[in-house]
Amino acid sequence: MKMDRRTFLKAVGALGASLFLQTYRSDIVKALEFAETRIVWIHGGECTGCSESLLNGGEPDVLQAFDRLNIRLEYHELLLGQQGIYVDGEMVNTSELNSEILFEEVIEEEGYILVVEGAIANGPKGTGKYMILGGKTYKDIFREAAENASLIVAVGQCATNGGVNSADSEIKDLMDFRGVAFTMEDGEKGMLQELGIEKPVININGCPPHPDWMLLTLGAVVLGKIKVPDDLPDVLDQWLRPKVFFPPDHVIHDNCPRRGFYDKGEFDTVVGGEKCLWKLGCKAPYTHADCAIRRWNGYHSLCPQSGSPCIACVSPGFPDSSRPFFQEIEDVGLPGTNIDTVAKVAIGGSLIAAGAHAFRRLAMKNGHKGKEREDELGKEIGKEAGKENNKDEKGDQ
Amino acid sequence: MVEVTVDQLTRIEGHYRIDTQVNEEGVITEAQSMGLMLRGFERFLQHQDPRDAALLTQRICGVCPTSHSLAAANALDQLFGVEDAVPKDALVVRNIHQGLNTIASHTTHVYVLWGTDLANPAYRDLFGNFGDTGKAVWDELLRRYAPISYRLNGVDIPVGISYAAAIREKRRLHEAISLMGAKMPHSVLAHVGGVTYGPTLADIGQLASYYWKVMDFVENFALGVSPETWIENTRFASSPQKAVNFVLERLQELTDASLVSNDFSHAAGWGDVPLLAAFGSELIGEELLGLPASMKLDRTGGYSNPDTIGYLAYGVFYKPENGDGYDPTSPPGSRVIPSGYVDGKLKLHKFDHRKISESIAHSFYVDSESDRFPWEGTTDPEPDPDEIDYSRGTESRYSWIKAPHYDGIPCELGPLSRMLAMEDPLIIGLARLFGDNGYPAVNTYLRMLARAQEILVVASEILKWVTVDLDPSGKFAVPTDLSMAKDSEGMGLWEAPRGALGHWIATGPDSKVTLYQAVVPSTWNLAPRNTAGIPGPVEQALVGNRISAAENALGVDYTNPVGIFHTARSYDPCLACAIHTIDLTGKEKERVRVI
Repeated sequence: MKMDRRTFLKAVGALGASLFLQTYRSDIVKALEFAETRIVWIHGGECTGCSESLLNGGEPDVLQAFDRLNIRLEYHELLLGQQGIYVDGEMVNTSELNSEILFEEVIEEEGYILVVEGAIANGPKGTGKYMILGGKTYKDIFREAAENASLIVAVGQCATNGGVNSADSEIKDLMDFRGVAFTMEDGEKGMLQELGIEKPVININGCPPHPDWMLLTLGAVVLGKIKVPDDLPDVLDQWLRPKVFFPPDHVIHDNCPRRGFYDKGEFDTVVGGEKCLWKLGCKAPYTHADCAIRRWNGYHSLCPQSGSPCIACVSPGFPDSSRPFFQEIEDVGLPGTNIDTVAKVAIGGSLIAAGAHAFRRLAMKNGHKGKEREDELGKEIGKEAGKENNKDEKGDQ
Repeated sequence: MVEVTVDQLTRIEGHYRIDTQVNEEGVITEAQSMGLMLRGFERFLQHQDPRDAALLTQRICGVCPTSHSLAAANALDQLFGVEDAVPKDALVVRNIHQGLNTIASHTTHVYVLWGTDLANPAYRDLFGNFGDTGKAVWDELLRRYAPISYRLNGVDIPVGISYAAAIREKRRLHEAISLMGAKMPHSVLAHVGGVTYGPTLADIGQLASYYWKVMDFVENFALGVSPETWIENTRFASSPQKAVNFVLERLQELTDASLVSNDFSHAAGWGDVPLLAAFGSELIGEELLGLPASMKLDRTGGYSNPDTIGYLAYGVFYKPENGDGYDPTSPPGSRVIPSGYVDGKLKLHKFDHRKISESIAHSFYVDSESDRFPWEGTTDPEPDPDEIDYSRGTESRYSWIKAPHYDGIPCELGPLSRMLAMEDPLIIGLARLFGDNGYPAVNTYLRMLARAQEILVVASEILKWVTVDLDPSGKFAVPTDLSMAKDSEGMGLWEAPRGALGHWIATGPDSKVTLYQAVVPSTWNLAPRNTAGIPGPVEQALVGNRISAAENALGVDYTNPVGIFHTARSYDPCLACAIHTIDLTGKEKERVRVI
């Protein structure tokens, strides 16, 4: 069906209109196909935290969002009614009750968005037999589902980069868990590369990902705001994460509610205080995500706000690249860093933060003027940056 | 004999399979419980900073991360030698944190994971035989519990109102959790020596506001009476008989009115709990209330041999009136929901953590010993792909789940065990009622009512913690540093929504982790056979069950084994927890000190 403005806004409303429009500033779509979108959601080596997080999302809620966006959740092991049923080894009943039959039917129909939650076991010895479901390895299930998908969205750190499954241990190589397109920071070792499948991939990192990151990305694809695959090189970063949620030029530290303490050099050294958590190992100065602007669960908090250092759960190397969590990064000897360079990075960060504030002010003032606003925003950032730089130089003299 | 396999059993956390042998009468004669994945979770904590454990172990499970982080925090308290000093207000915050998670997890389970089976078409066929009343009941079940993307005979069914409402309430509870814990799942907050955040007065106000909104749902959707009235007349009833009578009288009133009106809606007073309480049980629904039909869940999911099953609780929620610090061994009566071991004949005994051990005789691991205490556990997954074969029968290895036991006895864990250990009058009373009338004293119906009852028990405690016990100007952590964890050990005994959860940790001279072990509830509940060949709790509970709806009331239908779905899901299985590979240990076996 053709979508008019009213239908579009109704669909966007399901995602929280202001949220969506803020994220994908809309020059309202003139006309586009708005057919049913089918989603197949599969679970590998995971904790279901990503699905739990999904259920925390959307305004008004995720079920209504799916309804308005005309999304049909074709397969999801946690939420659907079906289960796998075999009698004397044969699949029985119909796809209305049997998830194995349902899976075969939806895969055969092709053209769905495949959402992958959890890592994919390749071990032992490349067989994938550390996870066998319905008599098939999950590696094979993933292969079938990936081959017929029009787009793969990997949600959560386990699916994007292997996550905790791929953390360093004595049995890591034996288990050989893989992410969809990466294993930790290695782009050669994704399961797609292993299987020789080429498909467009969007990674929604995070342990778990923010529900907005998942829903707004799916919404943007469904509503044609992101055209697959043409737009992907522009909207994704080198880790295939949407830049809008994982901005290359912005870190969590920029908008941290404890930022004022950092700027004054006031640090907590034991938990339970209210000051900057840098000396307790906070990774926010290195972590590219919009947590501090968007905030979590009802949009009211984020980890450092609750007194716990950011552990960079959206970074490709998580958790190994963030451990130990509670030690100042300086102590750990992260290559090329010491407190001086970090302080400079941090000052650079504050300029970006000023830019973000300017962005918000403009968004309030100008509504949705797209390009024009961006240009103004650029000027304003330049202005503020100039000011800061001058001040800084004076201070040094 | 027919082989009926459910693979996967969906609407649980993780990947799980059940194999059964079913005879011509549709009765299950043998069952095998199989965990289908290896995760190798804890090995990566070895050689690391122990403080990371509270944040990392919660990533075992996205449904009950809170429980893992708090079990780890308990283990760390002892490891750092500060368990006597954790400030009272930090303990209260931990209580609130866990309490909200328990309610959220139970709500999701009762409505979304388990409740969906009440919309199985078998019940359309069953209740369809009972005229307008039966049809009204089926319409109500479908209207409440239809899951997302549900189709019956090609017709799309709208998402159930109770299913949808539960998702909304779960989300609300997660928002409440993140007021202090930053986000959910995988909150922060739990930390050695206390918590990372002291709530402000504003936080407390907001918490209370969330709380009352959730209680509106409990009153209007779940119970049909106020939670206070329910708790006063059940948990605080003067005898088990009185608690049962309160519920029965309420159900009788509803039944008398609705058998005339054929209105079984929420508006007519039929909250989700009363509806299940009446139509779920043959004894209560058909025999006592005079309903025309029921699902007969009280005939299913019991244990036939009281000598091979027990009910175990480690205890949970510190008592604020005891002030700072707590005893990590969880002695009787030291926690709000106390520790206890209830034997197969329902007699309560004192809990002793030294009686816990694990068997790998039927699991895909390599070890010279088939039984070990948690402190000595190892986990080496079978490296040979040809050895990973689920079809070799009960004598062979067939699961990634180990088989824990208490003094050699497999145990059921979870809300039912906790309500028995707490001697909740309603649950004790119902168990007696069933036992005295020739039903299994413990059954699938009671398991679900115990979960609902625990929501109310915990909710009433949360209100006290938030409004009475929590002092925002109190202390929320004792200072610690890494050197305090040198050559030490710690044990964290706690309760996840699904049951008793234990974390064990040891460190070397550099304060780095040498051993980490988690023994989790679903490992107990879904265990395969142990070294002595005794089946695990779910395996025992399935044997003797009829496979189809309402005790095969409409005949035997092997292709829709509702009996397996109800009973297996009633344990709220969590496979990510059950198979996390217990052992970050490597080969370190030396005990450092005796706890």
